[in-house]
Amino acid sequence: MKSHVSRRGMMGRIGAVLAGLLAGPVARTVRAAVSKGLASAGAAPGYEPAKHKWVMAIDANRCIGCGLCAQACKSENHVPAGPYYRTWIERYIILKPEAGADRARGETLVDSPEGGMRGFGQPSVAAERIQHSFFVPKLCNLCAHSPCTQACPVGATFDSPDGAVLIDPKYCIGCGFCIQACPYGCRFLSPVTHTAEKCTLCYHRITRGLKPACVEVCPTQARVFGDLKNSAPEDPIRQFYQNNLVQALKPQLGTDPRLFYAGIDKEVR
Amino acid sequence: MTNAITNLVVEAMPRFEGYVYPNEATHQPLWSVLIVLYPYITGLVAGAFIMASLVRVFKVKALEPVYRLSLLTAFAFLLGAPLPLLCHLGHPERCYEVMMTPHLTSPMAVFGFIYAWYLMAVLLLELWFDYRQDFVQWSRNTSGFRGILYRAFTLGVMDESKEAVGLDMKLGWIISIVGIPSAFLLHGYVGFIFGSIKANPWWGNPLMPIIFILSAIVSGIALCVFNYMVLMWVRRRSPDMRCLDAMGMFLFYALVMDAAIEGLDWVHRIYSADEAFQILRELATQKLFYTLNLGQVLLGTAVPLLLLGTLQVLRRRIPEAARKRMYFAGSALILLGVLAMRWNVVIGGQLFSKSLRGFMSYKMDFAGMEGWFMGAVLLALPFILLTVLVKLFLAERPPGRAP
Amino acid sequence: MPPQTFRLLLLVVGIVVTYSTARCFLTPPSFGQYGWFRGEALAELGAREPVYAGRKACEECHADEFKKLVEHGHKTLSCEACHGAAQAHAEDPDNPGVKLDKLHFSVCVRCHEANPSRPKWHKQIVVKNHYTIAKCTECHVPHMPEEAP
Repeated sequence: MKSHVSRRGMMGRIGAVLAGLLAGPVARTVRAAVSKGLASAGAAPGYEPAKHKWVMAIDANRCIGCGLCAQACKSENHVPAGPYYRTWIERYIILKPEAGADRARGETLVDSPEGGMRGFGQPSVAAERIQHSFFVPKLCNLCAHSPCTQACPVGATFDSPDGAVLIDPKYCIGCGFCIQACPYGCRFLSPVTHTAEKCTLCYHRITRGLKPACVEVCPTQARVFGDLKNSAPEDPIRQFYQNNLVQALKPQLGTDPRLFYAGIDKEVR
Repeated sequence: MTNAITNLVVEAMPRFEGYVYPNEATHQPLWSVLIVLYPYITGLVAGAFIMASLVRVFKVKALEPVYRLSLLTAFAFLLGAPLPLLCHLGHPERCYEVMMTPHLTSPMAVFGFIYAWYLMAVLLLELWFDYRQDFVQWSRNTSGFRGILYRAFTLGVMDESKEAVGLDMKLGWIISIVGIPSAFLLHGYVGFIFGSIKANPWWGNPLMPIIFILSAIVSGIALCVFNYMVLMWVRRRSPDMRCLDAMGMFLFYALVMDAAIEGLDWVHRIYSADEAFQILRELATQKLFYTLNLGQVLLGTAVPLLLLGTLQVLRRRIPEAARKRMYFAGSALILLGVLAMRWNVVIGGQLFSKSLRGFMSYKMDFAGMEGWFMGAVLLALPFILLTVLVKLFLAERPPGRAP
Repeated sequence: MPPQTFRLLLLVVGIVVTYSTARCFLTPPSFGQYGWFRGEALAELGAREPVYAGRKACEECHADEFKKLVEHGHKTLSCEACHGAAQAHAEDPDNPGVKLDKLHFSVCVRCHEANPSRPKWHKQIVVKNHYTIAKCTECHVPHMPEEAP
C-alpha cells in the first residue's frame, strides 16, 4: 500500500506539526512568566535571597572538641540516627618522630567517634608521644564551583543566590552522584527520605535572622558566621578574615571553597 | 557483660580501618552491585553493536552469520540497561525528571539523551532497515496477533521493490556509520560518569572513558561469541568456523588494545605516585586482591590473551573441536573478567575513604535491592529478553516464513 | 520522498512533539526562577521550624541571668549550649511539659575535662584529681564562673 499524499496535503501536515512544536515552548514561557509573578519570594516572607551572602569560617585554634555543634545539628535538622552527619569534628593527633629517626614528625592519627557528637575521650596514645593535637570541625565547604551542583542530573541540588548549597528533597531522585562528587564527604543519602542531605547552613534559621544551630551553641566561637553583603568591619566574620591567614581544603581540585580555616595543619584533608 | 555482647550482635557495626569520614561509615556502599551491572550491560551493548557494524561498514563477510544475532543482543541488553538504574534510585518514580529538566552540566543528565538517541536513532533504525523486508513477508504469511505485530513493525511501508530494498540497505549502511561513534559515545559516556569525579582518585582520570570503551568492545565481542556458540548448540547446529575464527581474531586484537591501555593506566599511576597512590596501592594489592589480580588480570585478561593468541598463531594446527572449546572458554573468561573490572572500578572506588586515610569494608546482602539475588536477576533478564527476540526474529525456517 | 524516509520523519516529529508536550507539563512551575532548580524549594527549606531558640529569645524573659552572663567568663556561650534546645520552651514558657531539665555536672565536664588535644588557653581540669567529693556548683557559679557561690 503506497501512500499517495499530495504535495499540498503533505505541506499541510508538516505545517500543523510545526505549529504544534512551536506551541510547546510558547506555552512554557507564558506559564513561567505567570508563575514568576504569582510566586513572590523564595524564602520567609520579606526575605530576599539576593540581598544576602551567607558564609561560615572556622577558627580551629578555638575548637575544644566538645561536640556540642554536631549534637545541636543532629537535633535541629532531625538528622537520622546512625552514620549520617551534616557536620562533624575530627581530632588530629600528630605524634613525635620515633627516637633517633631523621624525620620531623611521626604518624598522624585521625578519629571522629560518632562524628564527635558526644565529645572525645582521652587519646589512645600517651600524652608524651603527642607533638600536636587539635580539633577540626567539618561541614559543607560552600564551594564557589561546587562539584556536587555540577553533578546533579536534575537540578535538585543547587547554589542558592544567598550563598548556601541546598538540596530540594522533593525533587531529588536519590541517585547519589552528588555524594560521590563531593570531595569533602559532607553529603549522605538519608535512609528516611531516600534523598541526598547535607548542611544547609540551617537555612530555615538564617532566613529568620537566627544563627545556624552549630554556631549558636559553640562555646568558644570557633565557628564564625556572617553575611558578606551586610557586615561591618567589626563583625566577627570580617574580623576573622582581617586577622587570620587561612587555608581551604583540597584546593588542588578547583572547587574554590568559600569555607576558610584558620589554624589547621597540612595533615588536614 | 551479656548486654555488651548482645548489643554487638544486634548493631553489627560497619567495619573500617584507619580514618574514614563519618558519612562514609555506612553499612553498604552508596553505589553497589546495581551500579556495577549497569556499565557492564551498556558495555555489552556497545561491543555487540561494533561487532555488527564490522559486517555492515567494514564488509567483513566472515562475520555475516552473526550479524543479526549481534544486533538483537545489543537491543536486548540496551532494553535491560536502565533497570539496574531504576532499581537503584532513591525515588525511581521521579526518574522522568532527568529527561524533563536535565541539568546539562551533569554527565548523568546528558546520558539520558545519549541513551535515547542510541536506542531510537541507531539500534532500532538499523534493526528496522535490516528487517523491514522480512516484516513485510512475515506479515503476509502469518496470521493472528503475530501477523498484526509484523504488519505494525513495517510502519506501513510494504514496498518490496528492488529500489525500496536497495534504499533500506543504503540507509542502514549510513546508520551503521553513525552508529559507530554513537556506540563509542554510549559507553564512553558511562566511563566519563566515573572519569569526571575528581573527588575520587580511583575514578577521576581522563583514561577512564577510553578504558571503558575498549573493555566494552572486548566484552561485547566476547558476548557475541558466547551467544553464537550457545545458540548453535541449542539448535544442534555446528557453528561456522570461519565466523568464529574471525570473531576470535577481532576479540584478540581488541583485548590486546584494552590490556595495553589498562596497563598504561597502571604504569602512569605507579610512576607519578601522587598523593592518593599509597592508599590506592593498598587498595589494589590488598582489598581488591581476588577480584583485581586474580579475577580481572589473570583470569579475565592474561589467560584469554594466551588462549586467543595461541589460536591466532597456531590456528591451522589446532583441531576444530579444540578451537571451539578455546573460543568458548576465552569468551566466558573475558565476560567474567570484564564484570570483575566493573566491580573493581565501582566498588573499589568506594572501599577507601576520600580522606585517603582509611578503608571501609562491606558485606553484600543476598536479599534486598542491592543484593546478590537482585543482581543475578537483572543480569539474567537481558538474556531472557534475547531468547524471546531470537524466537521472534531469528529465523530457523526458510526465508519468507516467520520464525 | 521515499516512503521509508517519510514514515520515519513522521515518527521523529511525533516523538519530538510528545517530548515537548510532556516537558511542558512535567516541569514544576517555579523551575528556573533563580537558576536550574525549583524556586519554591527556597521557601520550603526556609519554612522548617527551628529547634534551638537562640540567645536573644532567652534574653527576653531571663534578662537578669543574661546581664550576669555577659560580664563574666562564659559570655560567649549560648544558653542552649548547656541548657539544651529551648525553642519549644520559648514559644510556650508557662507549659511545664516543655520546661528545660535541671543540669548535671557532666555538662561542665564535657567542655572542661583536660585533654591533650584541647588548646592551652582553654581552662581545663583533670576531673578525677579535682575535688571529686563536691559537685562543680558547690564552688563555681555557672553564669559567673569567676565568682564563688
